[in-house]
Amino acid sequence: MEYENAVGHIYDIQGYAVHDGPGIRTTVYTKGCPLRCLWCHSPESQRHEFELGYLPLKCLGVELCQNACVNACPEGALTINEPVQALKGSGTIQKVSIDREKCTGCLKCVDACIPKSLYSAGWNTTVDEVYNRVIKDRGFFQNGGGITISGGEAMAQFEFTLNLAKRLKDSGIHICLDTTGFAAEDQLAEILPYIDLFLYDLKHMDTVKHKNLTGVGNELILSNARFLAEHGAALQIRVPVIPKLNDGEENLRRAAEFCASLGDAVTLVQLLPYHKSGRMKYERLGWKYKLTNVEPPDDEFMQKALELFQGYGLNAQLH
Amino acid sequence: MATNFDYPISTRVQDLRDKRNRINKDLHLNVERNRILTEYYKTHLHQYPILKRAGYLYEWCATREINIDDDDIFLGDAGPHTRTVHFDIEQTGAMWFRSNFGDTDERFRAAWQVPGSVWVSDEERAYLLEAADFWEENDIGATARGLFPDEFFDGPMGMFAKFLNGSYPGHFNPNYEKVVQVGFGAVREQAKAKLAEIKAHTTTDNVRQDIFYRAMVKMCDAITLMSRRYAEKCRELAATATPERAAELLRMADSCEWIPEHPARNFWEGIQAILFYQNLLTAEGVHWADSPALIDSYLGPLAENDIATGAITRETAQDYADAFLLQIGNQIIMFPKPNNDQLIEAHKNGKTLYDLQGGGQNIAAGSLITLGGQKRDGTGDYNLATELFLLAYYRMRVAEPSLALRVNKHTPARIWELGIAVSKRCGGFPQFNNDDIIIPQQVEKGVALEDARRYGVFGCVEPAIAGMEWSMASNCGAFGGGIGMLQTMQNVIHGNRDPQSGMERPGNAKKLYEYETFDELKAEFVRIASAGLDNMARMNHFAAYTFEAEWPAPSVSVMMEGCMESGKDVTWGGAKYNGTGTMTNGIGVIADSLYTIKKLCFDDKTLSTRELYDALVADWEGYELLRQRILNELTFYGNDNDEVDELAAWVTDFWLGYTNTLAGPNHGHVNMGILDLAWVSGGKRTWATPDGRKNGEPLSPSADPRQDVVKNGPLSYVKSVAKLPWSKARCGGAINIRMDANSVRGDEATAKVQELIQSFFEMGGIQFCFTVADTEVMRAAQKNPQDYQDLIVRIAGFSAYFTHLAFDDQENYIQKYEIAV
Repeated sequence: MEYENAVGHIYDIQGYAVHDGPGIRTTVYTKGCPLRCLWCHSPESQRHEFELGYLPLKCLGVELCQNACVNACPEGALTINEPVQALKGSGTIQKVSIDREKCTGCLKCVDACIPKSLYSAGWNTTVDEVYNRVIKDRGFFQNGGGITISGGEAMAQFEFTLNLAKRLKDSGIHICLDTTGFAAEDQLAEILPYIDLFLYDLKHMDTVKHKNLTGVGNELILSNARFLAEHGAALQIRVPVIPKLNDGEENLRRAAEFCASLGDAVTLVQLLPYHKSGRMKYERLGWKYKLTNVEPPDDEFMQKALELFQGYGLNAQLH
Repeated sequence: MATNFDYPISTRVQDLRDKRNRINKDLHLNVERNRILTEYYKTHLHQYPILKRAGYLYEWCATREINIDDDDIFLGDAGPHTRTVHFDIEQTGAMWFRSNFGDTDERFRAAWQVPGSVWVSDEERAYLLEAADFWEENDIGATARGLFPDEFFDGPMGMFAKFLNGSYPGHFNPNYEKVVQVGFGAVREQAKAKLAEIKAHTTTDNVRQDIFYRAMVKMCDAITLMSRRYAEKCRELAATATPERAAELLRMADSCEWIPEHPARNFWEGIQAILFYQNLLTAEGVHWADSPALIDSYLGPLAENDIATGAITRETAQDYADAFLLQIGNQIIMFPKPNNDQLIEAHKNGKTLYDLQGGGQNIAAGSLITLGGQKRDGTGDYNLATELFLLAYYRMRVAEPSLALRVNKHTPARIWELGIAVSKRCGGFPQFNNDDIIIPQQVEKGVALEDARRYGVFGCVEPAIAGMEWSMASNCGAFGGGIGMLQTMQNVIHGNRDPQSGMERPGNAKKLYEYETFDELKAEFVRIASAGLDNMARMNHFAAYTFEAEWPAPSVSVMMEGCMESGKDVTWGGAKYNGTGTMTNGIGVIADSLYTIKKLCFDDKTLSTRELYDALVADWEGYELLRQRILNELTFYGNDNDEVDELAAWVTDFWLGYTNTLAGPNHGHVNMGILDLAWVSGGKRTWATPDGRKNGEPLSPSADPRQDVVKNGPLSYVKSVAKLPWSKARCGGAINIRMDANSVRGDEATAKVQELIQSFFEMGGIQFCFTVADTEVMRAAQKNPQDYQDLIVRIAGFSAYFTHLAFDDQENYIQKYEIAV
């Protein structure tokens, strides 16, 4: 079938994604997203292009590989650092620095790097390839589990996502689509029959603030949620709780009211406390982490937030 | 909603737990037992071995010191002090005494008589030194030397013969059920009836049975006497105790006059009978891993009845379970035996001998409690006591003894939930054992189905029929024990040269660059391994015969199913079922190494066998880029890559399958398991391997993948492991996953852990355990150990307090694969 050859950009496939929908799930992470959330814990998911990542810990020094990466770079974007203490032994080694201004993302250095210290965040794949990988985990899906297609924004690679969903649906696999909701309504309508459950983010109820925090307003997101609810979709709403940015009581109340207004379509509301685990990824990509002044919310606050949502008759949980 | 399991711990139990931690810094060596044994053996040189052992045990029961502390809920320790450290002089070796107790006074005192020592007085020191002279020519090693062929000592397996000096056959599930439900009085009557029968028809053929039954009568008398001495002591103390404690002591006295001679009438008596019997087993000799299996099965009805009749409250029942757990773990064995240098060094660093035990792993006596499972008719066997004992672990957070929970289709949801809750707190406790694999496996071994349903787990992960099988897993030695498969791998690569020592061994094995095809290499692997395993089986018979000849186990036989019927000690083949167990490990390293050779040298032909051989001989020195290529380009075991997993399955299938055909002592089986105690220390003894591992680096633990090569997450991890032929692993297998706290947070995540385990079991997995420990938490624990005294992690076949681990082990544990979501 032709759809199996649809090409997609993905940056990870992870088994046992316990917080991405019911049962045991394997999640496919697509690359590229129209939003730029300040708290994004997957910076490598944002751009459509593959990026050069660097794990200095794995670099064994250019002495060993005879400047393999530096020689491979046609732009002169890699430079050799001052010697540093080697991880093992008493000697010193010289690692490299990336000039992100010069780097064009050709990734020739990645091919040259044997220890895979330089790596590509993301790769090209086909529906067939992804299917063959995730189907191996089928033995774990019996209790309502399955595949979650996540992002980035999976709807931004519509052909690929649609065809992957069709392929999985043909095999009777339970499919969740994890989406920001920032997508064309007609495309959502087209993919709807193949999605068992939408994991749908609500980041802020005020469109101006939404734009400040994510780069886009929330009108399309809210109207798409209503559209899906009215057309028979099952929605699991996910509300990230980011201290100071969206955790005000009024916003939480409006979010809860909105969820309640969608009626039976909403099967569950997940409150996701902010965490910092994505910080390291920013460094590897040479990016700055913007939320330096925000700490994860405490358990007590999360419990109150949970009760607030439950107060609207919603089936809600933490994490 | 998740059930809240955080019931308050009673002050009394909390005090007991605090006391235990206090005592760990002030331990005493059990000299008493060795003194009674030595005096008895010196004066009964020619008494028939089983009568000699029974006679000594009677003497022990009759004369040992009886101590009861003011706060004791249960009575009895195998030594004169709470948590006495056991060692058996008859298996210790005179040399150890000479070099350590015979050291200068100053060094002796610095090692054994400072705070933190395992205390030995000057008088005890002098006595043991003198006793060691007697034992030199009369100990277990002397018996072995008297009957082993020279080849055992001279050959590469010399270590096996040496190992025998260090251990009684142990690793089994004693018949605690019979102690609780039948008692020693009935056994004594049975023995007397047998003696009367023999008396009427004595022939030379039944003389040994006559001797055996007389020993059995002695054993029943011995334990009954000991129990009554405890009763006497209770009454004595009651005279001066507070009215409340006096009433309790008098109740204890009444019970000790009843059990273990008669069946236990209530929960307290059932537990106390188990403890008394454990004391007796330990006094006979350190068997290792005598494990109380299925205790909930026979203690549960007693607890339920007590609560129903109002005799005790549920809270008191929990106190009993908590106190039992603290007390059954009081069996501590000095292993390995430290030398003065190590002790003096440890004391300088503020450590104690207790910290050094098992390399800081506190494996205690290798004991393991099995809960849950099935009744003889195949219905589920879970009751109130299953919960009480699981909760006891949740509350007490102890690292010994180990805990196994049998699961099957009857396992109640609440037990699953509780089991996972305990695991989140106490790393690796419980291990979950899959009835659907283990029961058929036992049947395959020749066990009747009804009996197979009553298996228990002992030691690390090894199954055996509770109270019916003399499973003797510690009998097998060096070849199968741990590094046999890795040794074979080295022989396949280096021929007869041992790469670590440089020693040449006899034989005509090829070197890696001499193979034309991969199949040829596999055939050589099989040839070398078969010869090694055959040799192991031969030694095993001799080892078993050593104990049959001179060192029988009447304390085991008196309760073990089959012995009373046949008139034979367990060491003579009296048990209903016989087996002997051994283990192999490092599956990940073996599979990855075979895969590297196959893929790069024979399939892709991008690397010559000569270059790989040279790289290995050089321990990768000068071949770092090749090593990096191997580590980064190949997808190893643990990632659901069929190409390498098939090799893991092939080598395991051969190893288990071949061992399963070998004859064990007493017409029993040899059972092979995939587990280890020593992936770090075993790694130190293992030269560089083709998978990019350097000389001395840790191995892959048990059946787990190598720590640093797993990249596809937990589902791929367990799928790879599930491809091994677990149904053939009759001595069990260990799989241990470390998860981060985030991936098990919340009720939903708990349910998913259960799903993960069940899916793994449906794919054929035999056993599963997990530890929840974040790297950050462990780093903090390294910095401030005093704040993390309760942090328990699963190592391979057992769990340990993280802060007690040696630094190397801590580091390797931290680096072990963590599931981050």
